[in-house]
Amino acid sequence: MTRATHGAARILFVAGLVLLAISGLTYRLTSLHLEGSLDRARAERRRLYRGVLPASRGRVFDSSAETNTLAMNIRVADLCADPAVLVASNLVEETADRFARELHLDAAALRQRLGRPDRRFEYVARRLPKETAESVLALRLPGVFKQDAWVRSYPMGSMMAHVLGFVNDEEMGAAGIEQRCDAYLRGRPGLLESRLDGQRREMVVRRVRQIPAEEGADVYLTLDQHVQYILEKALDQALEQHRARAAWGIVQRVATGEILAMASRPAYDPNDFRRSEDAQRLNRAIGQVYEPGSTFKVAVIAAALNEGLVRPETEFDCENGRWLHENRILRDYHPYARLNVADIIKKSSNIGAAKIALMLGDQRLDAYLRAFGVGRRLGIDLPGEEAGILHPVAQWSRITSSRVAIGQGVCVTALQMLGVMCAIANGGTLMRPYVVRQIVGPDGAVLHRQEPQPLGRPIRPETADLMRELLARVTEEGGTGRRAALRGYRVAGKTGTAQKVQAGGYSESDYIASFVGFLPVEAPQIGMIIVVDEPQPLHTGGVVAAPVFGMVAEQLTRYLDIPPAAYAVAAR
Amino acid sequence: MRRNRKKRTDGFIFPAPLAVAIAALSAFGVSFGCLRARTDALGREIKQLEARRNTAREMALKEENRWAQARSPAGIEEALNRHGLTMTWPAAEQVVRLADDSGRETPARPRYAASRLSRSERMRVE
Repeated sequence: MTRATHGAARILFVAGLVLLAISGLTYRLTSLHLEGSLDRARAERRRLYRGVLPASRGRVFDSSAETNTLAMNIRVADLCADPAVLVASNLVEETADRFARELHLDAAALRQRLGRPDRRFEYVARRLPKETAESVLALRLPGVFKQDAWVRSYPMGSMMAHVLGFVNDEEMGAAGIEQRCDAYLRGRPGLLESRLDGQRREMVVRRVRQIPAEEGADVYLTLDQHVQYILEKALDQALEQHRARAAWGIVQRVATGEILAMASRPAYDPNDFRRSEDAQRLNRAIGQVYEPGSTFKVAVIAAALNEGLVRPETEFDCENGRWLHENRILRDYHPYARLNVADIIKKSSNIGAAKIALMLGDQRLDAYLRAFGVGRRLGIDLPGEEAGILHPVAQWSRITSSRVAIGQGVCVTALQMLGVMCAIANGGTLMRPYVVRQIVGPDGAVLHRQEPQPLGRPIRPETADLMRELLARVTEEGGTGRRAALRGYRVAGKTGTAQKVQAGGYSESDYIASFVGFLPVEAPQIGMIIVVDEPQPLHTGGVVAAPVFGMVAEQLTRYLDIPPAAYAVAAR
Repeated sequence: MRRNRKKRTDGFIFPAPLAVAIAALSAFGVSFGCLRARTDALGREIKQLEARRNTAREMALKEENRWAQARSPAGIEEALNRHGLTMTWPAAEQVVRLADDSGRETPARPRYAASRLSRSERMRVE
């Protein structure tokens, strides 16, 4: 064999080996491809990541110049454990004791929960600050890990709780603005489809699809946290001073219907809503109906004046405080012989108001009350508004109008009663109350803006002007609401003291005291109602609710920069 | 006659087109490897930046929450009490109002009105 043929043979031999190896690999690849298609699909699925990108819930702001944040989402961590691992490691007691020490938890309960080998997951503590969770994880306890989560935070605590509401465990708004504006606030979650590497980390360059989450819109309220604080503080004081069962109040801008403050006591902390009771969560300002008592005389007398049936100087026989009508006795708190219409309001005579209602007649009285918004929802943008109770006129008895005139046999919410008063203050126009000023999307676009909306004009402007003057006398010397008077300002209003309804009649010991009014009389800007439920031992609206009104109004005139009457006159 | 041993004409000669093809494939492979490494590095960087952005957002929200708590009326009152300060609203007669020649009040924008301005307008006012 020559040297050349020897070399060619070696090359052929190596080429043959390579060909053989390639053939083997090809065969193996083909067989894997054909036979292992099911395994391959499973492997592909395992490498594919498909996750939801959570949308951050929008924030809620107040209306003050600083736009204070009232509700927002913050990041927290849930600390979790794998009880099976802890039991296998014989570390249940040690771990439970450590958690109890670090997180101030009940050690015995924790030992019981973590000592169950049949379970693979248990929450140790939920909604911890991330730093706290990480400090616990630094202990490197086996079977202990954390899960990041979002939680709704209400930085003001219980303030405005009834208006804001809360978000439940399913991250859905379950009360107040959180419920009403849930569709705007919640945003829209995104989607991420990608592939994972061998260590199950996402490979960014292999992302298949990424749809970013749409953040929730921000809600701007008409409420002002400073006005709210003033009102809530005054209600708290009243609750304590009069040992009352509950108290609630609203401050409304007369011309627009904007709600500046709305508070209800007892309250709750929406950060910890799970520990609150139904009674604490009830927004009494819109969700509790009550018999308004004498504050209701305002609507009846305004109706009679508007119809031209009476004038302020028209006199009525007030029967020395005791009047037998349709075999039922009606009494005045203080006996009077004769009073004119102006004094019937000022002295709050039941007999006088009842006689005016009788002059008006059932049909007209009913029509006026409904025009004032009694017996129907005013349509405030909050869930849970009650309509009140005003029976159809066909169901009225012969004494109904005389009782409705003094706020008995009719039920209203504080919002409705304030609506009546604000309509008078607003030249006879009833405005729809609202708490959401605007909703702004994450891109800054205004998605919704609430404009003032008139609901009707139950009385003429001249009647409203006349009523304003008559109501101003209530807070003057000799009036029932003089404790609501404010130095430098003329305040209009009406007191109410209503016996609470109980089985078979009216309670002799439980009352609802209220005061509803507005200021300044010359150019009304704000209307306010204060209601105190079961005050003890004093129980009249003039003694219990009117001072609260005065206390709040005094601070509001400073904060809202409402000029006093003397200045208003000088400025003209 | 003696043969020239250095001049071997019967040996294996590597085909030039194959050599070019192998060189091109090698260059392609090296380029692919480099680009792959680069994209992997960019992917890791994107991931890190996303994590940093999320952390920054969480921190901003946390600070906003703390700031809102500190600015709440209750928080301010607590801070004042801590420093032994008491603040009350001025009485009506303690407020001095300035009027221009026409007798009208110098326009002092009410606080609640400022909130109705857009952010840019508010900045101009301030």
